[in-house]
Amino acid sequence: MKGFARRLAGQLARGLVMVWVVLTFTFVIISIMPGDPVRAEYENLLQQGYSPEQAEAQAAMLHRFRPTGSVFEQYVDYVGSLLRFDLGQSLYSRVDVATVLADAAKWTVIPVLLGTVLSFGLGVVVGVYAAIKRSSKLGDMLTMSGSLLRGIPDFVVGLLLASIFATLWPILPRQGAVNILYEPWTVEYVLSLGYHAILPVATYTISAYGGFILAMKSSVVTVLGDDFILAAELRGMKRSIIFRYIARNAILPLFTVFALSVAAVFSGAIFIERIFNYPGLGMLLIDSIGRRDITVMAGALLLITVAVIIANIVADLFYSVIDPRIRRAGDRV
Amino acid sequence: MTLATAAHAPEGGTTAPAVRIRDLTVVYKTPAGELPAVSEIDMDLPAGTITGLVGESGSGKSTLALSLLNAVQPPGRISSGTVEIDGLGDVVPLQGDKLRRVRGGQIGYVFQAAQNSLNPLKTVGKQLLDLGRSHDVDDLRALVSEAKELLGRMGLDGARVLDSYQHELSGGMRQRVGIMLALVLNAHVVVLDEPTTALDMITQANILEIIRNIHAERGLTTLVITHDIGVVAEVADQLAVMYGGRIVERGPVRSVLGEPRHPYTQGLIRAIPRLTGDIDQARALPGRPPTLGTIPERGCVFRDRCELRMSVCDTVEPVLERHADQLVACHAVAGQEPDGGAPTDDGQEQT
Repeated sequence: MKGFARRLAGQLARGLVMVWVVLTFTFVIISIMPGDPVRAEYENLLQQGYSPEQAEAQAAMLHRFRPTGSVFEQYVDYVGSLLRFDLGQSLYSRVDVATVLADAAKWTVIPVLLGTVLSFGLGVVVGVYAAIKRSSKLGDMLTMSGSLLRGIPDFVVGLLLASIFATLWPILPRQGAVNILYEPWTVEYVLSLGYHAILPVATYTISAYGGFILAMKSSVVTVLGDDFILAAELRGMKRSIIFRYIARNAILPLFTVFALSVAAVFSGAIFIERIFNYPGLGMLLIDSIGRRDITVMAGALLLITVAVIIANIVADLFYSVIDPRIRRAGDRV
Repeated sequence: MTLATAAHAPEGGTTAPAVRIRDLTVVYKTPAGELPAVSEIDMDLPAGTITGLVGESGSGKSTLALSLLNAVQPPGRISSGTVEIDGLGDVVPLQGDKLRRVRGGQIGYVFQAAQNSLNPLKTVGKQLLDLGRSHDVDDLRALVSEAKELLGRMGLDGARVLDSYQHELSGGMRQRVGIMLALVLNAHVVVLDEPTTALDMITQANILEIIRNIHAERGLTTLVITHDIGVVAEVADQLAVMYGGRIVERGPVRSVLGEPRHPYTQGLIRAIPRLTGDIDQARALPGRPPTLGTIPERGCVFRDRCELRMSVCDTVEPVLERHADQLVACHAVAGQEPDGGAPTDDGQEQT
């Protein structure tokens, strides 16, 4: 397992560098934003009769850097507060950005992961089937459905689902995440949670599914041509065992696709949550942009990028756990 | 074909099943229709012997070998003929679970060394257990110790090998693992497809010795497919030479190599460079072997490259006829030795 620890350390280091790039980028965006919002806040406070010191402290608490400092000083303040997980306060509601984000994150992370995992499972099974039946009509149709779904943008899928199941044939809700009249964590509350999550999760599932089918199909076709499959057949191995051999070998490259999909679905959530009025990070991002709530906006941006980076790291590490060629190669070093 | 081989069979080997191939034709589906890769082959693998099958790439030798397990891969199929194996009967009509049990259970198949015949994600030991479960072995512990013993006899550390993944084994080790997996369920008929290709000379010699020893110990009936006449000379008792999907000459290995009669066999042997003497003494056979599409429909398949071509070769396909120790399919050879006798004389080809 020494190899694994080494790999983990390498991945974390790389991840941290990426996070640093992203937070620097966010800082630059805020600094060069027209109208200099931090400065504006500061002057606004001055006009309300605060003393310059008070106004400066107030603005710094909101934005995490002093409006009058140099760019470098501001950057140091900003990074320093991030290291303490202090993301400042919302300009709109004056609540800690970290709290706002944590509230919203659960509405994004859980449905996005659920949707991606569902479509992964579905895509893998259908992809195997499409590969085995590749010379039949059914196989062709499955492959085509994959290409087609892959071509449709996720927000179009979301709009279609919303108009079909919430408008034309209104059997599913398209507003919010839960019926707020229920007492939290009663049976009705949990049911209502699931009920409200159906459409967003279905949208995530359908929009990621096409990519999984296509990737799995081509991967299975490659493995089917491998010598060890014929060898297993000639050794009289049971079909179910050979099927497992094929599936496990073919699924390996899919973990890379999985990581990319999580990233894509995460960013897709920005539009999808808007469609279903789902109170997740995407909604929060759009709302905060509308309200010029820069601190929340920056925090949401940062959180989404960090989530994508983490998804990639996890996928890569997982890969090394299930592929002995990578796992054991690491041990040797 | 029983008389020449009985003498070669070791004691105790006579109980091992022999293989009788009759009139076997394997066709491949191509855009130009179904073309035969193996045509009307008759051949016996006498019990307890090692038979070598040599031929150039594309001569149909691997297709023939796969037919023994009824495992010709699509778009190919066995279009006619029988492959009878003692104790099993004809394997051609076998299907599904019955066929699966025969593969690995009674007939072992060892892959070309260069191929990766193991699942890269599972240790050899786990794949051994998969094999045992596939064949309903009750005592998996006994299977593992049998495997360890086999590996040990081949000069490997059984426990360590079973705990290894394919990528942790060398080519020679993989080949020995392949042999172990083919034999661990006590198969009596073993097919080795290019067992030493892509191995270095020392490992090659090693593997051949292992094949010979285990063959003798277990009284196996073995078919070794190779394009390397040296390998055949090293291990085989019997030799069959394939060309264009047909067997053109076969017989005891000493006679076929010592006194080759078919012009193709002669050409093959002349083409081998010698250790001593001038390299120019080795003469390449002119021309190239036929492919599926260029095998002539009538007449002798070898005539285009043959020095002894006669007019009859264009129209009539020569049949295997007995000449001294071996069977030869050649009009010219038949003509040379009119006293060699018609095939009916010794009546060996009738059943």
